[in-house]
Amino acid sequence: MDALLQGMSAALSPVTVAAVAAGAVAGLVFSAIPGLTFSVALALIMPFTFGMEPIPAMALLLGVYSGGMTGGAVSAILLGIPGTPSAAATVLDGHPMARRGDASLALGASVISSAVGGLFSLVVMMLLLEQVAAVAIRFGPAEIFALVLFGLSTICGLADKSLTRGLIAGVLGLMIMIIGLDELDGVGRLTFGTVQLQQGVNMLVAMIALFAVPQVISSFVDHGRVPRPPIVERVRAVFPWRRVAAHWSLLLRSSAIGTVIGAIPGTGGPIASFLAYDHARRFSRRPAEFGKGSIEGLVAPEAANNAVMGGALIPVLSLGIPGDPATAIILGGLLVHGLQPGPMLFQTRLDVIYALYMAIVVSWVVILLVQLAGIRLFVRVLRVPPHVLGVCILVLCGIGSYVIRNSIFDVYLMAIVGVFGYALQRMRIPLAPVVLGLVLGPTLEQQYRTALILSEGSHQIFFESGVAMGFFALTLLTIGWQIWSSSRRPADTAPGAT
Amino acid sequence: MGLHRLDRWLGSSLTVLALGWLWLVYEYIPGARMEGEPGPRAFPVLLGIVLAGLGVVMTLQAVASATRERAAGTTPSLTSREAWLATGTFGVLVLYAFLLDKVGFVVATPVVIALAMYFLVQVRNWMLLGSLAIGFTLGCWVIFDVLLGTPLPSGLWVIWP
Repeated sequence: MDALLQGMSAALSPVTVAAVAAGAVAGLVFSAIPGLTFSVALALIMPFTFGMEPIPAMALLLGVYSGGMTGGAVSAILLGIPGTPSAAATVLDGHPMARRGDASLALGASVISSAVGGLFSLVVMMLLLEQVAAVAIRFGPAEIFALVLFGLSTICGLADKSLTRGLIAGVLGLMIMIIGLDELDGVGRLTFGTVQLQQGVNMLVAMIALFAVPQVISSFVDHGRVPRPPIVERVRAVFPWRRVAAHWSLLLRSSAIGTVIGAIPGTGGPIASFLAYDHARRFSRRPAEFGKGSIEGLVAPEAANNAVMGGALIPVLSLGIPGDPATAIILGGLLVHGLQPGPMLFQTRLDVIYALYMAIVVSWVVILLVQLAGIRLFVRVLRVPPHVLGVCILVLCGIGSYVIRNSIFDVYLMAIVGVFGYALQRMRIPLAPVVLGLVLGPTLEQQYRTALILSEGSHQIFFESGVAMGFFALTLLTIGWQIWSSSRRPADTAPGAT
Repeated sequence: MGLHRLDRWLGSSLTVLALGWLWLVYEYIPGARMEGEPGPRAFPVLLGIVLAGLGVVMTLQAVASATRERAAGTTPSLTSREAWLATGTFGVLVLYAFLLDKVGFVVATPVVIALAMYFLVQVRNWMLLGSLAIGFTLGCWVIFDVLLGTPLPSGLWVIWP
């Protein structure tokens, strides 16, 4: 009890609250701008924490993390460009909502869902930390491979009318991520001896290109040809809690998905958000509305990708194992301030643990207030004529692609991938599965090869794991269900439908 | 173009693309160096085979659909205007990358905005064009360089070595 009171006192001190608030706003801004991720924000802010006390310092970093997980939805909804990879699934229904005049509803729903997901995972972290850590640590390469393969099977759900086209898109996404240095062997793959290609195609550069450039070209094509009425905000609901609460069951399920996925090192927000999106679509009473502005298609990925935060902190705090670059920086922050993660931290510095929990709660309150207050300002972006906005977006794509790795070559790559994406779209190949392939491809291959290295080439490692077999079964079920339901659909006169 | 014809063309093209990919993979990516490890070539080969298979499936589906249905509709052909805009957008992005490298953000950005607005969007209002070019550049510089501390390209200022 003393530790709880000490922790709360430390977390609610003016310095700590100010640090959390500043971190949350910084994380929001960084992740709202395509190309700037909150990992960049964490890396930039980290040195400023060296002179701070441990609790305010960690509160600042956790604030950035919380804000960063939420901010990506702003550009995803308003511009159709995910600010972070975790917000890629949010584009699918968030942006259509904005284009039909429901931007404020979409932004409000996303921030509420994010807060619910984040707080859900925080509660799980507080109550079930040891149990979840024990499960997470059992996920080796074979299990993670099976999980990611299951994630890829959601391509079936993103393929809309044609499974063949969806699979082609997914394979093309996987192929794009092959280019570069092989992480395990260090050899160049399709780099043709050029230094620039050795760094490969950055996932965020490809996402910016695939989401933004086709959309911009379409806006140029439509300009002057299609009289487009101005987008008028229909629903001025800044805090649509009733609309979100109506899907409370989906919120909880998506939050659970995000928390579990977040606890597994090597996975993260993008996998969680796509899995949650697919889950929502499969169990929705109105699956045909997905991809056209369904609020369920927005609520599910946002709850899941923010629930990842609490899950990701579980292996960091309990085992000292970071799951992604962001949590690696958080771990670095703990070590710099003399806080050694592990069981001893919970025994000797329980006050710090409670302070960190409270700091996360404060960060979510700040994020809610800032985002809800800013919604009326954010939606003004939609008043800009699409063709003018398109030019600005082109410039932002260039800047965003550059700042990721300070590489001009990335800007060239963005141009090539962007026009390639437009060509795909023109040939009726969906882009969402391409993005899924980009996101999951590197992890899929790496875990597969790592598992085979551990087992000295024997595929038995996959069949000996009950968890892996379970995910394989789910994958087959997902694909089989999609093929079966497609065959039962009324005959589609468009060729290519399966 | 009729949808069947488009799909036949697309499926065939993807199959050819996949075969080209496989050739490149075997030519430029070494095989496994350790026994028991698939090596850097295995996954790309698998992807090439899968893509080739999907291309064949798409082609066959299009042929089968064409024999069953008479009218499956058409997809809007690529007009010259659309081709120009797509090419122009690509050109603007490539030019932007080139200018960012050579003359830096502060010069490249207003030039590219002005060119895009004039040629792609057909804006002839010089006030609007100028104010957007300069205003947006200034805004981005303030946000990225000053407030967020993320350095923007300053350019080499060397056009030819």
